[in-house]
Amino acid sequence: MLAALQRPTVIRVSHLTKRYGARVAVDDVSFAVGRGEVVGFLGPNGAGKSTTLRILAGFVGPTNGKVTIADHDVVEDSLEARRCIGYMPESVPLYPEMRVLEYLRFRAELKRVPRARRGAYVDDALRLSGIVEVANKRIGHLSKGYRQRVGLADAIVGKPPIVILDEPTAGLDPNQIRDARALIRALGSDHTVVLSTHILSEVEACATRVLLIHRGKLVAQGPTEAIRTLRNPTAVEIEVRGNPEIAERCLGNVDGIGRVVHLHGSGGHGVRLHAIFAEAMAGEGRARAIEQAVAALVAAGLGVRGVRTTGGSLEDVFEALTKEAMPEGP
Amino acid sequence: MKSFWPIYKRELFAFFVTPLAWVLIVVFLIVQGMHFFLLVDHFAHQADVTGDETPLSAFFGNTVLLYLVVFLLVPPMTMRLFAEERRSGTIETLMTAPVSSAAVVLAKYAAVLTTYVAMWLPTVLYLVILGRTGTLDWHTAASAYTGVLLVGAAYLALGCCASALTRSQFLAMIWTALVLLVLFILGIGEFATRQGSVMHDVCAYVSVWAHMNDFASGVVDSRHVVFYVTLIALPLFVATRAVDAWRWG
Repeated sequence: MLAALQRPTVIRVSHLTKRYGARVAVDDVSFAVGRGEVVGFLGPNGAGKSTTLRILAGFVGPTNGKVTIADHDVVEDSLEARRCIGYMPESVPLYPEMRVLEYLRFRAELKRVPRARRGAYVDDALRLSGIVEVANKRIGHLSKGYRQRVGLADAIVGKPPIVILDEPTAGLDPNQIRDARALIRALGSDHTVVLSTHILSEVEACATRVLLIHRGKLVAQGPTEAIRTLRNPTAVEIEVRGNPEIAERCLGNVDGIGRVVHLHGSGGHGVRLHAIFAEAMAGEGRARAIEQAVAALVAAGLGVRGVRTTGGSLEDVFEALTKEAMPEGP
Repeated sequence: MKSFWPIYKRELFAFFVTPLAWVLIVVFLIVQGMHFFLLVDHFAHQADVTGDETPLSAFFGNTVLLYLVVFLLVPPMTMRLFAEERRSGTIETLMTAPVSSAAVVLAKYAAVLTTYVAMWLPTVLYLVILGRTGTLDWHTAASAYTGVLLVGAAYLALGCCASALTRSQFLAMIWTALVLLVLFILGIGEFATRQGSVMHDVCAYVSVWAHMNDFASGVVDSRHVVFYVTLIALPLFVATRAVDAWRWG
């Protein structure tokens, strides 16, 4: 609530529920988004992210609860609420028969950009999304990466105060993902951005605040930093030069390391070992275990060439978060 | 209603950028040209032509020619209006823009209606040719075209509604064709039922055949006009409600 007090709230969701027949897609979710925030919706596929974003965007109506966008109710004042948002759906649907420029002009007119400013707005969207070079191409002839960017351009062409992006990097190659994330961060400077993803590193790269959603329920929310600390490494990968048996024995004797796995496929003189932390280890204990492991290897006369923590996937974070809330059954 | 224009323009663009519209127009004009030729040829060889049987009245009414083309034309014209957008998912970007459901329905409907008018426009040339070689009652011609416009507008509204009610273009086409066929057969029932019975009156009221005969002979009956305006407004209203209902599906 403190964050909401500091920034004027632009999206307020209270007790939102959406049912499709007997299936509950979103279950009593409440949160608020302040102006200028970049909020990441994080959850596995089918968690209810897309449904929530569709309700925010005004495409589907809530079964229960209240959603306001810039103080406009999405049900009672839908048109005004929709004027405040730019939305990119997950599948990025576009009209394949239109040229990129034609499409963005059409969308700008639809979003009621005044005629005098339409050209400039379209140019800005083209430039920001990096699609100037394909402006005169037919959308149907574009690659997936370009189509995704046309979808982004569409979301921002009306210069809406709020941008909602559903899985904005799905289907892009690593270079395109980096560009898209940079664009989203840039958008954050003068837009409020809400995006969804099932990739943990994506919210860490883009978002200032994270909402974790699991089976339709909001499991946790907080600044990205807080989620990052939840993301404990589960193992450490060490590359050593020397006898692998000695190295394995050294690591096996270190407190807090449960199991050591020899990784194959490392070239040259190096050997890669995967040391998995003991279950009971807390964050500080793990750090100490790494220190001791390296010291032991060096003392045994082995050369340490690389140390890297691994693990801490989205599944691990969810497990950590839901363990207390949902005790395991017998 | 501000969103009417951009959607209307895009619909027309989408229609004419695909071959479908051009194929439909070409087929329509070839068929209508043949009809016109056959009718004029027929009347030219008749020794005694009475005043109430003219190429004009036969072109627009009293023959099955008009219904055949309109039947075959309307379902493929309207099938894609909503069904296509729902299949491809573009309905999601369309409906999350600040547009009202009524504006979307009206814009799409206006676009097919414009296409329909554009199809009929070249046939005015036939009448000009007819007028040059003989006397032509332009009042009757205007009344006949009013009939063509009203019948077409009502059929297109029904097709538009069918497209909004299903996700499949094919089903939308089949539904439209079925409804139009039932409507036509119901009208033909006028000749099959006993004069004076309620069924006869109902059939006569909805009979496209009878309506077009009146329009083609220069009679613009207000009852017919009311019937068609209702048949335009009602499906469009249902289509608007259907578009609203998607949100709650």
